[in-house]
Amino acid sequence: MDPVLERVIVEAAVKIALVFFVVLTTVAYMTWVERRVSAWIQDRRGPNRVGPFGLLQPLADGIKFLFKEEITPPHVYRPVYLLAPILILVPALLTISVVPFGPALRLFGRDVPLRVADVDNGVLIILAFASMGVYGIALAGWSSNNKYSLMGGLRSSAQLISYELAMGLAIVGILMSAGSLRLSDVVARQAEHGWNVLWQLPGFVVFLTAAFAETNRLPFDLPEAETELVAGYHTEYSGMRFSMFYMAEYANMVTASCLAATLYLGGYHVPGLQRLGLPQNAAAIVQLLAFGIKVAFFLFVYVWVRWTIPRFRYDQLMNLGWKVLLPVALVHIVWVAFIVLMGWA
Amino acid sequence: MHLLIGLIAVVVVFALLRAFLPGRTGLPVLFLLIAGATLVVLERADLLRIEFWAGSVAFVAILSALLIVLHPNPMVSVLFLIVNLFCIAVFYLMLQAQFLAALQVIVYAGAIMVLFVFVVMLLNLKAEEGLHLGGGAQRGLALALGAAFAGLMLWAIKTRREPPYFAPSSFAGGFGTAREVGALLFAKYLFAFEAASILLVAAMVGAVILAKRKLE
Repeated sequence: MDPVLERVIVEAAVKIALVFFVVLTTVAYMTWVERRVSAWIQDRRGPNRVGPFGLLQPLADGIKFLFKEEITPPHVYRPVYLLAPILILVPALLTISVVPFGPALRLFGRDVPLRVADVDNGVLIILAFASMGVYGIALAGWSSNNKYSLMGGLRSSAQLISYELAMGLAIVGILMSAGSLRLSDVVARQAEHGWNVLWQLPGFVVFLTAAFAETNRLPFDLPEAETELVAGYHTEYSGMRFSMFYMAEYANMVTASCLAATLYLGGYHVPGLQRLGLPQNAAAIVQLLAFGIKVAFFLFVYVWVRWTIPRFRYDQLMNLGWKVLLPVALVHIVWVAFIVLMGWA
Repeated sequence: MHLLIGLIAVVVVFALLRAFLPGRTGLPVLFLLIAGATLVVLERADLLRIEFWAGSVAFVAILSALLIVLHPNPMVSVLFLIVNLFCIAVFYLMLQAQFLAALQVIVYAGAIMVLFVFVVMLLNLKAEEGLHLGGGAQRGLALALGAAFAGLMLWAIKTRREPPYFAPSSFAGGFGTAREVGALLFAKYLFAFEAASILLVAAMVGAVILAKRKLE
């Protein structure tokens, strides 16, 4: 085999395995964080029995899910019913491949960039995979042959389509200022001219709100509003298939947090790091950690908001999406375009 | 190309085994896994050839296109249409048109097909019993047109004189990026671009007026 090609393939495989491992571990531990933080907010203790501080709880949960009986109800449309959890988890995990986690690390005498793929259309690929996530939910609802599931699936598809638009428009502001669809260019520009959140605050708020709706989290978790719809589109799922829906939700949260950090908080950029004059690898590790802290902050905000704000009604959700977020995002684009044109940014 | 032909044969045998073996046994899946893995190991040199991947995607595209028409369940047909649109995106990618590939997934596989899924879900279409083929005249016309199109394709392939496709060296540096496509759209093809946007706005206004029962 061609040695250059071989090197590229091995490098990519190692990175994919590493990112996969980190994301899935984060997903598992987010369930623990969610329960601990919710307990803290509600003045309870939360899971603290399995291991120190309940740290082994996700492991116990995983084992429990694997050993639970998988029930396939007789009235479902089997092929699609089995496919839906996969369709929802795969796009959630794929999106992370274009996120830049840090600058290049010097290993074995060459630069290894800390990202799986540095593609020219990074932002578009994220939007493409985000739009793929709808199918899993809609098909899970449809194939279950259950009216609660169907209503949940329909609601969530309508919600995702409405909020995808606002999210895309908010991102347009970032693209205009960076002049590129490549995420590493977006980060480089912010390192040079200051973080986007400083002058694109409306876009940031729209993006974050839309990201909450895209991940089906409270206050926008209408597809699974248990008071009306039992458990929405995953009512008929059990065991590991049910947990795949949960994994997808948390993986989507991780991706959305990575994106928020990359697009608005300067990605892995740390202000003033260059003046310290650290060697390349040390600086890269500091920046990687900084990125991790920014992502952790957004993940915490997700949990914080969930246990603070009650659920919206469906008409309120649609009004917010179409009558508030969309116009705000459009005005924001004009404002960013004006600033970029005048050369003030 | 041995790997591709072999894999297609394995898939066909798998489908036949599934169709004709009585009961739900794991035998066809076992055969698929073992035969597929053996083929891949034996002919692994093919894995690095773009022709193999182009051929595989083409096979999936044709198979899904057939299933769109032949499958009795409308929802499954929609799903195969999504698969088909994805295959087209992969073709764009192989032709170095990465921007077009991303748009293909966002617009067709993402936005438009979601509406299809919606409509099928809301209409609650039941699976048809058997396939209803059109009458004599329609079938004859379809056969004639299909044969003509196949002939045209064969002729196009035979008389092709360009260098082989899928060779990255035959494209200029920035080919297919958002920057290049944008420059073309907003400079060379500005008129066509604006005309298309006016058409879309007109269609949108029309849809809103049709959807509103009474206008205040």
